[in-house]
Amino acid sequence: MLEDKISKFKSVLKGHTELRAQVNTKRRVTLLNGNLVNNLRSEESGVSARVYKNGVYGFASSAEYSDEKIKAVLAAAEENAGFMDLHIKKNKPMFPSVGSGKKELQYTVKDVEQKVFIEFAKEIDAYISTKYPNLASRTVTAFSDSMEKLLVVSDGCDSHSLIPRSYVYLFMTANANDGTTVELFKPVGGFGYFSDIFTDPAALYEDIDNLYSDLMKKAEGVYCEAGYKDVVMHPNLAGILAHEAVGHPVEADLVLGGSVAAHNLGKQVASELVTMVDFAHTALGETVPLPVYVDDEGTPAEDAVLIKDGILVGYMNNRETAQHFGMKPQGNARAYLFSDEPLIRMRNTAILPGKDKLEDMIAAIDDGYYLIEPNNGQADTTSEFMFGVCMGYEIKKGKLGRAIRDTTISGVAFEMLKTVDMLSDDMVWLSAGVCGKKQPMPVGMGGPAIKCKVNIGGR
Amino acid sequence: MTNREIAEYTLDALKKAGADHAQCIVSTGKVDEFNVDGGEFSLLRTLFNSNITMKALKDGKKGIISANRLDKESIDKAVQECIAAAESSVSDEAEAIAPKIRNANFTAGVLEPDRDKLFDRIKEFVADVKNDYPKIILEQVISKYSSGESVFMNTNGVEFTYTCGNYDINAMFSAHEGEKSSSFNYYYALFDSLDRKLIDIGMQRTLFAESERQIDTKPFPGKTVGKVIISPACLAEMLFIAFGNFISDATIIDKTSPWISMLGKQVASEKLSVYTKPLDERVVCGERFTGDGFMSENMEIIKNGVLKNFYLSNYGSRKTGFPRALNLSQNLFVDPGDTSLDELIKNVDRGIIMNRFSGGQPSTNGDFSGVAKNSFLIENGKITHALSETMVSGNLADMFKNIIGISSETVCDGITVLPYILFDGITISGK
Repeated sequence: MLEDKISKFKSVLKGHTELRAQVNTKRRVTLLNGNLVNNLRSEESGVSARVYKNGVYGFASSAEYSDEKIKAVLAAAEENAGFMDLHIKKNKPMFPSVGSGKKELQYTVKDVEQKVFIEFAKEIDAYISTKYPNLASRTVTAFSDSMEKLLVVSDGCDSHSLIPRSYVYLFMTANANDGTTVELFKPVGGFGYFSDIFTDPAALYEDIDNLYSDLMKKAEGVYCEAGYKDVVMHPNLAGILAHEAVGHPVEADLVLGGSVAAHNLGKQVASELVTMVDFAHTALGETVPLPVYVDDEGTPAEDAVLIKDGILVGYMNNRETAQHFGMKPQGNARAYLFSDEPLIRMRNTAILPGKDKLEDMIAAIDDGYYLIEPNNGQADTTSEFMFGVCMGYEIKKGKLGRAIRDTTISGVAFEMLKTVDMLSDDMVWLSAGVCGKKQPMPVGMGGPAIKCKVNIGGR
Repeated sequence: MTNREIAEYTLDALKKAGADHAQCIVSTGKVDEFNVDGGEFSLLRTLFNSNITMKALKDGKKGIISANRLDKESIDKAVQECIAAAESSVSDEAEAIAPKIRNANFTAGVLEPDRDKLFDRIKEFVADVKNDYPKIILEQVISKYSSGESVFMNTNGVEFTYTCGNYDINAMFSAHEGEKSSSFNYYYALFDSLDRKLIDIGMQRTLFAESERQIDTKPFPGKTVGKVIISPACLAEMLFIAFGNFISDATIIDKTSPWISMLGKQVASEKLSVYTKPLDERVVCGERFTGDGFMSENMEIIKNGVLKNFYLSNYGSRKTGFPRALNLSQNLFVDPGDTSLDELIKNVDRGIIMNRFSGGQPSTNGDFSGVAKNSFLIENGKITHALSETMVSGNLADMFKNIIGISSETVCDGITVLPYILFDGITISGK
């Protein structure tokens, strides 16, 4: 656990200043066809300071975590803020108060030995290789990362926080019916340390069997017909839709940079069935996948409602953009490494469930697709989004047909969301992803099954 | 301790702790980074970076530790973890460290930065954009000076030192008119001199001008299998995806690459020649030694359509029996053709010119699909209008065989030197 060497400097922090000590860890073990091709442990730690001065920031960091270096990074950050203020002269006012206090650590810091990852991965690999010897290739990765932060601010809430995540990534490749190969991938895991989540390899056997079964169907699968199609998105896709299609365009820094959301606040951007929230730490009575209690500017975290009954009602802010837009900061300023400055980031972004049943949603489509598993995604400031789909089925006359090969779907979110006419009454959360925006960041995302229209790539 | 002393200490500690063979890379450096957000300066960031990556082999089993603390206590802890990781590992005869061939010290780039002049150049860049491209909003500009020293050593006596420094700029932007806007686009370039305006580097001006013409868009009309001109910035991304799927460790080791048996054979049009050239004078601070501990050399990947080399690490090479890559850089070069870009456009009856590909992760077999961003429709040999909601799909391996022409113009961004390429047989579909 991080030793607190920074609290004693709180009294010398000026204006708005953040002082943060942090350690990020990663553990990764990868078996490719039984060969251990990756056996890595990494740790990045240090201390940083960010100083706000009349509308500009200065930042400095050091890997060395000592009283002497803390003083040095504070001095360097102040000097950088002074340089920018001298040359830019924005003369902006100080931020309004966000309250004060201290949030203590909620969880226990642990270090799991590398052999725990290796032995678990070997058992999973042995199960796959024994039961499914006809696979063209198999990869098993046992992975965890963690982010522990100590934050002291001149004006706001201090905190000591920890977000550990652990996953087993399963990849399988099979020979397809047309002489090429097809592959499928599934992450299993979530919040917590590896040894807490993965106690018994047998608990993953059902996931492995299902993945293999899906892969065999995909090996016999067909390419999608390109065009504008009716689809049902499985809940696994709802979160990435929420994140990519709406989440990014309503990050206030992107709004200031010209996002289409700048012109749509208070307007109908989705069907009235759609409500979307960036949850801080609790959603629908339960702790979210990656809870954030205080952000890295010292703002206590609360939920940011983005779309309410189809109306765009808010942005995600840091303290500076909140002041600009006259909104309340809700704890979205997050930094990835000790050497990174806080940026506006999503936390746990979700579309809320509706009242429909999945089978009724599929039955309501005459000719379209049921899309089940996403891979990567990207958004545009115009709200045009795309994400890859690696598993799905045709829908013909209300019934599931043949499996499909990899495809990509796209649309303009603020138009596509108006085509949403059914939402399932259940919800799935995912947290294996990492959002990229200057810095990477672990994020949670979730939602129900969605019936709508999208562009689909194909032949 | 100096980086070299830290590396020596680490190797000695790994040997004493039981390693049969070991290697480590120790790096230290400094970064001064200016940030512009929404067209206004927002942040000056100074980083003092350090890193050590150590690898130990014990009984043919490997452990790797990466950390950023270089004090003796932290290194001692990392050494113990590295040995513990190796002891828990799986023995593999393909694991090895590089043999000593020839040690060397390298220096590249600009080692005496001028922070104030960089700041002035960025200010000038922001002003130039406002004046020359008034519809452009700079969503974010990040420009920095980075410098550092890296030392590689292993227990076979290999020793390399590399000292380098460079400037870079990463601009993200879109064009606006009233409530209408273009898609965002971005450009990244490395440079080692502040003698010229930042706006004149690489494709920056071209992309600003094109974004201003991408405010009013229409979807591609209908669906066709046709011609696509891929711009240099987009080509780099497509090549990296293809080489990741076709010639890199994972798919060569597991034999799922569609090019697994194609070394020395025709995999692309005879017009296509692709290289990685970290030592080319146009590359800023290119790779001088690989992470495996081999001195980098320029390498042919595809010559006149024939696959000349895979992109394998030393481990991948020993595992498969194919030669290792002579460098592991991303300094891609494609030979220019003898046709101007204008002539390539005149060759297209109905197709598109694509500046950015936003797509799902392509399959190992090369199948891809995604959105053609920042792209234009070409009809009867002329660019007619900008596109939105237009998707492209095809197969990368097939695409390389289906090249109609390569432009005589190339673009250098300090990392790659690439032309425009006209491909045929790609499915283009609108809404």
